[in-house]
Amino acid sequence: MNPANRQRSWRAAALTPCANPSLTYSDNVDWLTDQHSDRHFFLLSVAVYGVSMIYSVFLWRKGFREDNRVNYFLLLSAFGLHTTAMVLRGFRFNHCPVSNLYEATMFVAWTIVTVYLVVGVWSRLRFLGAFASPVLFGIGVFALMPGLDPTHAATAENSNVWTSLHAALLSLAYGAFGLSSAAALMYLTQERNLKFNKLKAIFSLLPPIQRLEAVVGRLLLAGFILLSLGLAAGAFDLSRLNNPHAYRGDPKIVWSGLVWLLYFGLILMRWKFAQGGRRFALGAIGTFVFVLLTFWGVNLLSPLHNQ
Amino acid sequence: MPFLVIGLSHHSSPVAIRERFAFAEARIPAALQLLRDSGTAEEAVILSTCNRVEIYAFTTLEPRQAFDGLQEFLVTCHEYRDPLTDELYKLSEPQSIQHLFKVACGLDSMVLGETEILGQLKKAYDVALQHGHTRGRLNKAFQKAFNVAKQIRTETNIQRGSISIGSVAVELAEKIFSSLAARDVMIIGAGDTGEKTARALLSRGARSIIVSNRSLEKAVALAGELGGRAVPFEEWAREFPNIDIVISSTAAPHHILDRQKLEPLMKLRRNRSLLLIDIAVPRDIDPQVNFMENVFLYNIDDLQAIADDYLKQRKEEISRCEQIIREKAESILGSRYRGGAGSAVKPAFGS
Repeated sequence: MNPANRQRSWRAAALTPCANPSLTYSDNVDWLTDQHSDRHFFLLSVAVYGVSMIYSVFLWRKGFREDNRVNYFLLLSAFGLHTTAMVLRGFRFNHCPVSNLYEATMFVAWTIVTVYLVVGVWSRLRFLGAFASPVLFGIGVFALMPGLDPTHAATAENSNVWTSLHAALLSLAYGAFGLSSAAALMYLTQERNLKFNKLKAIFSLLPPIQRLEAVVGRLLLAGFILLSLGLAAGAFDLSRLNNPHAYRGDPKIVWSGLVWLLYFGLILMRWKFAQGGRRFALGAIGTFVFVLLTFWGVNLLSPLHNQ
Repeated sequence: MPFLVIGLSHHSSPVAIRERFAFAEARIPAALQLLRDSGTAEEAVILSTCNRVEIYAFTTLEPRQAFDGLQEFLVTCHEYRDPLTDELYKLSEPQSIQHLFKVACGLDSMVLGETEILGQLKKAYDVALQHGHTRGRLNKAFQKAFNVAKQIRTETNIQRGSISIGSVAVELAEKIFSSLAARDVMIIGAGDTGEKTARALLSRGARSIIVSNRSLEKAVALAGELGGRAVPFEEWAREFPNIDIVISSTAAPHHILDRQKLEPLMKLRRNRSLLLIDIAVPRDIDPQVNFMENVFLYNIDDLQAIADDYLKQRKEEISRCEQIIREKAESILGSRYRGGAGSAVKPAFGS
């Protein structure tokens, strides 16, 4: 088929989601209305996350004394673009967009901003956006890196509702963990000010640290429950394969177990051994940083997740 | 019909004279009736607080004549026979209106920007209104004053923050705890500042107070006043598992609480956040405890620095507030007094 005809068939395929399993990003076509418009919308949302991040630096330098409504609306706009990207993606491939690294990363970021927009309705917690926007921008930039969105199979060999549920629940879990670590960072900032920079602490509009600690705890707990459910869905999905025991030592499975144990340990630390406060906040941040740094590498090493 | 103000305040006279002119609340309606019956004022409001006694009036008389009548009224009402010189101030337009606005905003108060005076002014106006001693002009002036107070409160920082040690301590507590409602407070030592701080915490909803002092009698007396309970000085550490806020103001020459003592107590408290307010000199609490997790220590210098900073912020707002007040006074009085040339019989102090 000559190149001109090839392009015409792709344009036709774009009108029928999932009709052509060999659609790839490497083929360039029109911008907003083309078959890659979801990526363009996501790119725009990441740009707005970047603007929000810059504005957050301004808020931080002002000691969080300024109202955070501007940042909230920036993130709301980014959320609109981000959601559009995910909806377009979902309709294009006719399934929940969590089937490759790019989509999963996009989903995690979407969860973080969604939960923030709900929590940020309460004005004292709205400053969470200033801590979440750098995380969102970072995740967004990572997601847009080449190679994370390879040839997209419309019907993957193991694609079924349990796979989608597994991926969606885990993305939600990591989103909750991400926002929990943003709240933990807020806690540490205010705690440090209360101890060593008292004027800054009293003039800032950040919420009381006890409330911040509660937010960290609740988000972490919600994330842990979602993580447990997601891993359970994955385990059930795995059990339906022909030879599930072959994947016993799969790096991603081992890694997931470790992450589960780390968060379980944090929960025990907080609720059973009353080790809240700074240690708990540092634990929440440290564990999420570990997840961020190792998630994609482990994913690439996992035969189960790279079929 | 000019708007006049006559009165004395903490700026112009000592409390020994001010208290001679104070009006008992129950006497004010009768006093207003007497004032209006004398023909000196068509409409009047009397404001009598611990720091000022003022009469705001609209009159058909010439200002000089009206001021003589108002002074005569005050002196006769309180049977004051001593001579008065600078203790009384007399203001006519536009200073009178500006003064009313300043009083409503707390700009003329002993504690700059305090908000209690607005409530007192509203009450004084309400009493006069209920008894029919105000009409259109005074109603308009006072409504405008209340609006100006609201505008200044929202647009400036004149009322922002706390400038007393007790209130600063409460603000800090509210930065640590989600709510003071479930917090228990302990005072070690029965000093005046400690008591005021405890009262401030109680007024914001702290649940209970425990008082401990070397003199158990004093502890019992203070606990009784605050609605709490007293414990012997030797036993204050036993209360720690239940305490969230400690105010320490003993006369001990050494630290009564240090890291070594506090670490096991924090374990008993399951590491819940603890606020320590050390207002003693020399300090009661070892500064090293501030490095402990979930412990927040503030000494008298910390609290005073915050209070001073808030006061500085308020003072920086004075000129902005005065600008707003001038504009609002002009709008109510019209263009007659644009440029500031008033017709005050006696210049107001500081104007």
